[in-house]
Amino acid sequence: MTFDPKAATRTPPKKVVFKVKRYNPETGKTWWDEYEIETYRGMTVLDALLKIKEELDHTIVLRYSCRMGVCGSCGMIINGMPRLACQTQIAEVATESNPVVTVEPLKNHPVVRDLLTDFTAFFEKHRSVKPYTIRKNIEERETGDMEYLMTPEEHEMLYEYTLCISCGLCYSACPVAASDKRFLGPQALAYVWRYVADPRDEAWRERLEEVDKDEGPWSCHYAASCSAVCPKMVDPAAAIQRLRSALVKYRMGMYKKRVAKKATRPEGQVKPKKPLPPEAQTLPGVDLEALEREPPVVPVEQLLA
Amino acid sequence: MARASVRQIWLQYVTAILLIFLLTWHLVIRVPWLRGVNSFAETLANEKVYHEITAYGVLLIIFAWTVVLHAFNGLRTILLEWTSGKYKGLITALAVILILVFGSLATYTVVGVKPLPSGG
Amino acid sequence: MAEKDGKVKVLENRPGWIASINPWVLKIINNPERTAFVLHRITGLLMALIIMAHIYVTGTPARVGWEAWAEEISKAHGITPVTLYFFFFAGIAWYHGLNGIRLLLTEFFGVCIGKPEKPKPPYEAPSLKACQRKLLYLVFLLWGVLWALTGYIVFFK
Repeated sequence: MTFDPKAATRTPPKKVVFKVKRYNPETGKTWWDEYEIETYRGMTVLDALLKIKEELDHTIVLRYSCRMGVCGSCGMIINGMPRLACQTQIAEVATESNPVVTVEPLKNHPVVRDLLTDFTAFFEKHRSVKPYTIRKNIEERETGDMEYLMTPEEHEMLYEYTLCISCGLCYSACPVAASDKRFLGPQALAYVWRYVADPRDEAWRERLEEVDKDEGPWSCHYAASCSAVCPKMVDPAAAIQRLRSALVKYRMGMYKKRVAKKATRPEGQVKPKKPLPPEAQTLPGVDLEALEREPPVVPVEQLLA
Repeated sequence: MARASVRQIWLQYVTAILLIFLLTWHLVIRVPWLRGVNSFAETLANEKVYHEITAYGVLLIIFAWTVVLHAFNGLRTILLEWTSGKYKGLITALAVILILVFGSLATYTVVGVKPLPSGG
Repeated sequence: MAEKDGKVKVLENRPGWIASINPWVLKIINNPERTAFVLHRITGLLMALIIMAHIYVTGTPARVGWEAWAEEISKAHGITPVTLYFFFFAGIAWYHGLNGIRLLLTEFFGVCIGKPEKPKPPYEAPSLKACQRKLLYLVFLLWGVLWALTGYIVFFK
């Protein structure tokens, strides 16, 4: 999402009307409620919603956590555009001539109540693409003491995609996900590309085979709304095009990928063990190495009984 | 059922690349000053069209099949997206039937063309 | 539309197919690609329908004969239903074709979508400022020019 510093530092209108879309799961009814609140400079939409919840209507339901654009919990549609409520200043969306802010739950995610959406299906899709590094030699990965080598250029090619906070804004903005429940969506597909492009990952063939289906990158038609709303500049639209193009090359037998090798330590050189700093020393009489060799058995059943 | 990539690469993207050239040719031959005539309607006159069908028959058949494959595979994709893949078999059958019917009709337009009436 | 999910009703909240043909379902800033997508889909759907009619009509010389064809073409002078049909069909084809070239470059060849970069203000995604955006504006421009030219040829030549 393009950041406009001028809009963000502007003073918002003194009084703003909030139109909030409500949903009652017991009755299945939706309706709009209006609240007028007094604002202050720097007030975010999340601040305003919490003020409404505290002072005007305790029944509004929404999800939030960090209040600083890190957790990705407070995604909602603000004035028709999916945004993070905590990162959206009222001054950005309300003007003196139109001091109205409409707030709706994210589209394409089922609504539990009011502004609270259910991310179960979204995270299922995320999980289905195996969003973690896979190496063939598990032992090497688990017991290694050296890193997998990667050039700064290779890192830059995928760093952007590692910034995803899974806020679901891209999935909400996607016009394909709006009708096709099967579509993996921009977030999951960007993750696929993030690992296919990662030289430390060895499962790129399996990933490309797995994603080669109707609900994979073929369903993306480059509306690029995902990239336009992403609060972290992840650019899922470009990731999907790269993934699709890689898939085309892979099917034509032309896709090549460098897989990173582990850095090697000069022979005979053993990694020196750093002593723990004083503040991290264990209690007197506790032998850490012995505990590592023979982990203590905690009698959970006995504790429960 | 073919892999999604096989369908999309060959039926959508490769046909699209071919269509850039074929459609440009199809539209350009309707430009009067490139055909040495005075009006758009004259480019569609019996003699001109008969000449196109007989001289470029194979190209027209390739063009027609490329168009129907691209169009109805695209239609299938859109309908599958709109229905979340609910009626996949039915939609695929519809697309195949449309491709065969209109591809055949276009082929017949070329192979079954009647000779121009004498003096016409 | 509410769906029964256990004891509570969960609202599905998907706009459905309308999101494919209405670019204003969401009001997303800095996203002309969405309008291009909607236009590509509408023109694609219209083309699929018109192609059926076009193949049927152009089969007249084989199905019926040259007299029937000549009679059809005699109506292709000035502003008539026949020339209007050609005008709109060509307009739809121009857009779908021109935007299709842009999509081939981005989707099939994976070019014109910029290079990944580290986030920096104003945090605009690289693909939104890549050459595909310039191509998009070029598509709109060429579409207008070519459609106008088509109108001139079909109606006034």
